[in-house]
Amino acid sequence: MKPLKIAMLSLTHGHTRKYYQILKANPKLEWVAACAETKEIKELFESGKHGVPCYLDEQEMYKKHPEIEAVVLASANNRHLAQVRDCAKRGLHVLSMKIPTFDMVEYDEMICLVRESGIVFQIELEMHYNPVVYRLKKLIADGTIGKILSVQATNITLCPVWAFPWQGVPEKSYGKRIPLRKGDARFRGGALCDHPHVFDLIRWLTGSDFDFVFSDVGKNIRPELEVEDMLLVNGKMRDGTAFLLDPSWSRMEERLKVPGPGWEVFPKRMEVNLIISGEKGVLACDCFGPNVYHNGAPNDRYTVQYTYFDEWIGMVDEFVDCVRNGKQPKINLKWHRQTIEAMNACYRSISSGKPERVALNCTEEQ
Amino acid sequence: MNEALEKLAGKNWLKNRGVFAAAETGAAVGAVLKMKTGNRETFNLLPWRVERRFTELKNIVVNNTLEGVSTLRFCAISPANSLSLDQLLYREFDLCEYLGGAEIKSLFAVCNGRKAANVIVKLANGVSGSVECSVMLPPGAEEIDRHEIIARRGVASDRAVDTQIPQSSIYAFTGKGEKRFTDTDSELFGFAPQAVNFVRSAFAVLSDPKTGKTWNRQHERLLKIVAAAKESDKTGKQFSPGLNNRKSKIGNRKWVAGEARLGGTR
Repeated sequence: MKPLKIAMLSLTHGHTRKYYQILKANPKLEWVAACAETKEIKELFESGKHGVPCYLDEQEMYKKHPEIEAVVLASANNRHLAQVRDCAKRGLHVLSMKIPTFDMVEYDEMICLVRESGIVFQIELEMHYNPVVYRLKKLIADGTIGKILSVQATNITLCPVWAFPWQGVPEKSYGKRIPLRKGDARFRGGALCDHPHVFDLIRWLTGSDFDFVFSDVGKNIRPELEVEDMLLVNGKMRDGTAFLLDPSWSRMEERLKVPGPGWEVFPKRMEVNLIISGEKGVLACDCFGPNVYHNGAPNDRYTVQYTYFDEWIGMVDEFVDCVRNGKQPKINLKWHRQTIEAMNACYRSISSGKPERVALNCTEEQ
Repeated sequence: MNEALEKLAGKNWLKNRGVFAAAETGAAVGAVLKMKTGNRETFNLLPWRVERRFTELKNIVVNNTLEGVSTLRFCAISPANSLSLDQLLYREFDLCEYLGGAEIKSLFAVCNGRKAANVIVKLANGVSGSVECSVMLPPGAEEIDRHEIIARRGVASDRAVDTQIPQSSIYAFTGKGEKRFTDTDSELFGFAPQAVNFVRSAFAVLSDPKTGKTWNRQHERLLKIVAAAKESDKTGKQFSPGLNNRKSKIGNRKWVAGEARLGGTR
């Protein structure tokens, strides 16, 4: 199989650094070009000496590299639609960051663009390729705890906005400037927008869709942000499973412009944990643990050094397989639509103070 | 436990004396304290309030070790044959108010029968909280719980970072299997942790009967909050314990959470 010639767009997403490693290390990919959103980002990229040409204009990049077959859409959420339109026009396959858009009209346009152009569009929800989640899914499928009654899940991290400022700008993250609720100075576009994984996982693990959600925001632990950083969500799936999700930025960070060692103030900067109660027992799961620990450089602060990151291999394997063999990725736009609907329902619930129903999407059509 | 309480009271020259009595079946806590002296009052005990870890978490909040508390994340999972779901909710709601420093103003609860409950609460001081309870551990299993307080300046928790279950002081690995020990009270050495908490909470009431009166009032309040959680789950509405929810505007909505789920609203 020929390596997939791939480019990276914008370079502003939080997972950008991870992609630098993946695109260089994975033999199934040939990283041919990158395009930075700003001059500053371009300079930062070039200081990393990746050996890949970097442009400031996507059209120029495409013109100079007609061999590009696919792109990693590593941009702010509000840039996605324009980039997807261009990719569809050019027949370029897309590995998209986790939120294609929160605007459901834009979302449906993306579905049409992908269908009509025939490109592969895979959404980066890397938890699907996490070995702990594999085991969890197998245990559930094997009937270890019987029918699922309740799921409690965290997707909590530090706040990335100091390194990736667009994640704190409502228009760039949520797509619009919408107040969280009457009398609240904050806007949609914060921690919730960064954490779709648990919304996705509960659908995957239960095989059911959302019925309703209730959500409430806490007081920001970073008062200077104009978006939410603390929130809780509970509700029910259509199969009756009760759930409680925490998608907050509840782990404090050093305000680094470039993420690196010493980023975390709280020792563990990211956690995806689940407790699943079933008719026959309980499963407690840490998708990123146990780990190794140190209190060395740069801050002599007790720190969790993660040991789990191989989910990116499976994700790229699937993307290349789908492109080369004309397959549909598991995490495609249609599958992901109800996850985005549920997240939007959370914002509606925060605004109304009431539980909000989640529209059933078109997963049945897949 | 009565003997231990008597010994402790005598050692500390307390005038008041009391004895434990079994609470009614299905009560929020297994025992109450009956005073022997004075007007022979009965006091409901909130034994977790004297548990060392909660005392220290409270201190961390009160002493401003944490500043700007935003959110409480509490979880309790027990075997069905030890505590009921209501008992877990009763305790965790009390801890929300005790550690959060304010009364629960409103809540939204989602339950699955009498087996699991996920509740989002809001305290009167604006602190948010989640209470996650389930009684689906197998008989004999040790309860799993977690109490995390998230604030602008720092996070406090009774669980170690990067762990999922409670840790113990001593682990004995022998031919008879694994055994764990956590002793926290040398004066009451040999008692199980739960018994220690009962004795210490009764001792707190004997030492200052005002505490008992406060706990009795809190007991009545907690029963209302647990009832509100059940009502919230049943009706799919946010509830404000102690307020007249039935007449709120929420009741005018066309759609009620849960009505579309399989089996409908309970």
